[in-house]
Amino acid sequence: MKVLNRLTLVAALVLFICAGAAAQEMTKEEWQKQMTEFTAKRNDLRNKLAAVQAEVDKLKKEDADKAAALKKCNDDILALVGATPEKERAYAAKLDQIDAKINELSRLSNQDLWARKSEVDDVQKMLDEVKKDKMSVLPKYYDRVKEQQNRLDALKKSLESAQIAMTYTVGTWAKDRDCLWNIAKKPKIYDNAFLWPKIWQGNRDQIKNPDVIKRGQKLMIPPKADLTKEEKSAVRSYWKKKQAAAEEQKPAAPAKK
Amino acid sequence: MKKSIAGLVVAGAMVATLATGCSTRPSADELKQLEDLKAEVASLEREISAKESEKGALMKAIADKTALLSQCEKDKALVQERLRGM
Repeated sequence: MKVLNRLTLVAALVLFICAGAAAQEMTKEEWQKQMTEFTAKRNDLRNKLAAVQAEVDKLKKEDADKAAALKKCNDDILALVGATPEKERAYAAKLDQIDAKINELSRLSNQDLWARKSEVDDVQKMLDEVKKDKMSVLPKYYDRVKEQQNRLDALKKSLESAQIAMTYTVGTWAKDRDCLWNIAKKPKIYDNAFLWPKIWQGNRDQIKNPDVIKRGQKLMIPPKADLTKEEKSAVRSYWKKKQAAAEEQKPAAPAKK
Repeated sequence: MKKSIAGLVVAGAMVATLATGCSTRPSADELKQLEDLKAEVASLEREISAKESEKGALMKAIADKTALLSQCEKDKALVQERLRGM
């Protein structure tokens, strides 16, 4: 009886081990099934890869064609204005220079700007040159040049407003002792008689001779600042003429015997 | 009764032993063949994914260039017009 029990136990153990082994290992049929399944999948993927590769090749060609067309278009535009890389660099440098100058002048007060009025004119000359160049019509420069002109126009307006900010109506000599020297000396004007050429040069349209101003004349008073080169030169010229006139009026010296 | 149960268990064990030992199994070469096939499938999937990414990037590059080209043609016409007005 004991032998029979032991035999049954061993047989049950063998049954358990065999069942486990059978569950873990792949059978030939299963292998075959997986081989078929993966082979089909591989073939599908190979076909798909070939199709995607063909699409990629086609797109690469299209991309290269577009790049060539884009280069040609850009080259055509540069050819239209006769631009070369060197010319473009020089042109861009000029624009930078104008920008810097306008920025500098824009930071000035109206009074200081007036003193550097000639620089505004110089910048306008530079800008005019830049505008004459065919490269100014290129889209990348066109708006920039336009904006520079707008900023320069704003500066000119500031100059104009500085110019018309102050006027003085000439009174009489008898009552007001008005001459350019005395007007410049007035505390409300310049408080400095030596700045009289500023009034003269600022009103050249109505003052031909600085010694002659008329009652009721409305003189524009430029902002107070040092005399500019032009104003100094006008004063020198005025004194020379005055001296020459005085020489002419002197009686001729008697001839020596 | 007990004897017959024990006999059934022993017979079952013998059948199981025979079934496990005698059923056909793939050889080591065949198993390797299957593993290689699986690896190839995985590699192809990766390759296709990379190509799809490349395709997407190319399509974007082409779209960008098309837009640039269109803008360039407009610029060219504009430059010609401005030159005529100079």
